[in-house]
Parts: sequence; structure tokens; C-alpha cells
Amino acid sequence: MSTLLDVTGLSVNYGGVQAVHDSSIRVEEGEAVALLGPNGAGKSSTLRAILGLIKSTGQVNFRSTSISGVACERIVSQGLTLVPEGRRLFPQLTIHENLMLAARHRKAIQSTYEALLARLPILAERRDQPAGTLSGGEQQQVAIARALMSQPDLLLIDEPSLGLAPTLVDRVYELLADLKADGLSMLIVEQEVIRVLNFADRAYAMANGTIVMSGSAAELRNSDDVKHFYLGAEE
Amino acid sequence: MDAILTYIVNVVSLGGTYALLALGLAVVFSVLGLINFAHGELMTLAGYALLAGILLGVPFWAAVLAAVLVGGVAAVIMETTAFRPVRNANPATLLMTSFAVAMLLQVIFQNFISARGQAVPVPSLFTGSIAIGNAQVSIIQAISIVVSLLSLIALKVFFDRSRSGWAIRAAADDFETLRLMGFRASRLIAIAFLISGLLAGIAGVLWVMQRGSVDPLMGLKPVLAAFVVVVIGGLGSISGAVLGGYLLAAIEIALQTWLPEGLAPYRDSLTFVLVIAVLSLFPNGLFGKRVAEKV
Repeated sequence: MSTLLDVTGLSVNYGGVQAVHDSSIRVEEGEAVALLGPNGAGKSSTLRAILGLIKSTGQVNFRSTSISGVACERIVSQGLTLVPEGRRLFPQLTIHENLMLAARHRKAIQSTYEALLARLPILAERRDQPAGTLSGGEQQQVAIARALMSQPDLLLIDEPSLGLAPTLVDRVYELLADLKADGLSMLIVEQEVIRVLNFADRAYAMANGTIVMSGSAAELRNSDDVKHFYLGAEE
Repeated sequence: MDAILTYIVNVVSLGGTYALLALGLAVVFSVLGLINFAHGELMTLAGYALLAGILLGVPFWAAVLAAVLVGGVAAVIMETTAFRPVRNANPATLLMTSFAVAMLLQVIFQNFISARGQAVPVPSLFTGSIAIGNAQVSIIQAISIVVSLLSLIALKVFFDRSRSGWAIRAAADDFETLRLMGFRASRLIAIAFLISGLLAGIAGVLWVMQRGSVDPLMGLKPVLAAFVVVVIGGLGSISGAVLGGYLLAAIEIALQTWLPEGLAPYRDSLTFVLVIAVLSLFPNGLFGKRVAEKV
């Protein structure tokens, strides 16, 4: 296994407020890594900083090449992308247009598109419908599909289960499991701690902008601190 | 019957020009959140380019083509020199910058060309009229209808079929997510200005051909109308800009045709009363999105 993403000493400062402080995260090839933490812990800021959407200090390497300070659109072309929190589909564009907007390489894209249509029938059934008319669960599937259209090696996913009913969350995680089986690497920010720890290989826990714990998903699942802080269990 | 036919021809001709101008404003508004008040000066610039071409003895079609291109290129230069440095400033700064650019260009036209209107000798081929039934339609009006409709169809294809077209439609909603799709903000904004400038160029040529002259303040009135159109249609709505263009033309020409002579001085005011009536029924414009108000 080789290291795909290597983040060391990442810090993000929003006008004097330290959102992320000296955080280090690693994702190996083929791995699903969870990033846990309560609201405001700095998880989303970490993802956004890795992708160059916000300014940060520290070192971010992707496939051993530095992407610190590189513009987001260039990072995406290197095989790293984000499914943003709240899906953020373009509501007025059709599903087809949403997907094709992300298709950077025209030649290679047709097979990706057809594979996605086969995997997610909804994409084919409703391809000419505006994305804004889909339900939350359907939108999340389209948002993931759209990210895949840029043919990434590593997918950053911000709160995939946010605002979804449990059965729909199952559907989203089934899709993620399929993608993982195909060898796609992922870094998932999630507040549904049990769900993501059952899915991921490894996990990091953040609080107040710093990484407070890391280890295999099983280790975190059994950790008393995780149970106490995130699952509300009695000690 | 003839009166109605004449009315329709007038509406489609003026409405087409308004739609082209309003679309130019809407495209830039989509990507930058800016109503570019210097849009009218792009139109004027195209008018002067047409005049220069004719005076230099260039074939008329080449002068027209050059004038439209001048509109497009000038818009891109305007964006890179004036708007790019203040791109991330607040909307008021962008708006003031657009006023400054408009005034600067007007002064340049006045001082380096002439404060007075310059006659543009349009070939006699375009000055006649054709009879449709008992109604007379001027050739320039017919050309203006055809050209504006063709431009609108071309734009529709661009917005429906191309990645850049989808991106410009999407930019009004969410620029950041577009960056995740690999779009460079600068490139997309430059494309939007280029389209906007080409549209201003086409509208400028049509306007000058109908009036037969060009003057430094020529762009002022039509761009004000286009601004009204964009507001009626709904800021950021591209189809709204087109329909708004025809709607405003329908109102203006109806008042021009059927308003009793004694009320003629109130024509513009009445137009705006109707616009206010539309906006009080549809505060976000006919096709605008409902925007949650911050209190």
C-alpha cells in the first residue's frame, strides 16, 4: 500500500479564530478513513483546506507531490475531489448536466458515465429532470456520482448522511461500499459515528480543531472516550 | 389588423435588441453578481467601430463583424483591467467601478471623437422597406428581428449543450462547487464577459443601423431599459432576461402607439408604473428565485 494523501501540521485560521490546529492525517491507497467530531470541531475546514478552497498552513501531499497552495481546480485535475456538505447540486440544471459539468476528460468519461448509469438507475430514469426536484437521498447519490465523473483516486466526503432518513443512509453507504470494493479511497467526515466506524478502516477524531485520537476503526469503536463523547454512553 | 401587425413587428424588433442587451447583463450578473453599467458603452464602442470600418472603406459585412468583435474584446479588456482587481470586494465597489468605467469611456468618446452624434452611412440596400400585407416593415427592422432571434437561438444552444454554458447558468447558484468541477473562476468570468460584449456589439450594430448615427451617450438609454428588463425577468435568470426584453418592448410600444397624444409626455413614467406593478406582484421578477431576506 502506498500513501495517497499525507497531511502534516495543517492549520486553518478564520480571522483570528483557529478552526484547525496542527492536524495530521494520512490516507493509504484503497483505504476508507473516517474523520469524526462534533459540530465545529474543524472537520469540514480540514477537508476544504486539503482541497485548497480555504487558506491554510502546513503540508499537504497527494501521491507524494505537494498540493499546498495549489488552486482547487488544479487539485481536482490531479485526482482528488470533494462531495460537499449538503450535496450542493445545481438545482436548475438537469441530472445529466450536473454530471457532465464534472466531466473533465471527454474521451474517458463515457465509460464512467455508463458505469454510473448502470449502478444508479435513478440517474438514467430521471436524467433530464432538474436536480432540485430530487429527494435528499437521491441528491446525495447524484452528488457522489457527480464527484466520480472527475475520475478521482481519492474522494473526500463531507457528512454524507446529513439530513437523511436511516434507510436512505443505508442506500448511500451501500454505494460507498461498492466504490470501496472497486478500490476507491475515501476520507469521510461524519457525525453518524457508529455507521462510519462500521464502514471505515481507520479513523481520526477531532475536537476543537485538533486531532485528539486516531487508530483503526475497531479501536475507536471500542474506545471509552469515543463512546463517552460521541455516542453519549454512560461511563 | 395592419396596426396590430405593425405593433407586433415593432415589439419583436425592439424586444429582440432589449433581450440581447439584457442577456449580456444577466450573463455577467450570473458569474460575478455585478450589474455592469458600462455595458451600454460597449454598445457605443461597437457603433464607433462600425463607423470607423465604413469610413475606412472596409466592406460593410466586414465592418459589422469587426464592430461585434470589438464589443467582445473590449468587454474582456474591461473585465481584466477594471473588474478583476476588485473582484472580491463588496458588490457596491463593483457597481461603482462599472459606473466609473462607463463615465471614463463616455468622456473618451466625447473628447477624442466628438460630443455630437456622427452620421453612420448605412448602405442604401438596408434603408428600404418591404410590404407585408398592407403593413410596411423596414428592412433594418426585419434584419434586426432575424439577427436577434438567431443570436438568441445560438445562445440557447450554448447554454443547453456546452459545459461552459451549464457552468455560467450554475455560477449564480454556487461558484465554489464549480471550482470542484475543475472550473477556473477567471476563465469562466472572462467567457461571460466575452459573450456579454459580443451581445452588446450585435445590439450596438442593430441600434446604430436603425438610428443612422452614433453618439457618446448612445448606450445610456438602451442599457437602462435592459437593466429594467433584467429586474423584471428576475436577476440571474437567463430565460427571464429574454422574456423580460419582449415584455418591456410590448409595454413601451403599446404606450407609444395607443396612448392619447395629451399623455405622451408621461409615456416613460407610465412604463415604469407598469414595471413597478409587475414587481409588486412578483418581487423577485417573473422568473427570479425567491431570496430569503436578511433582517
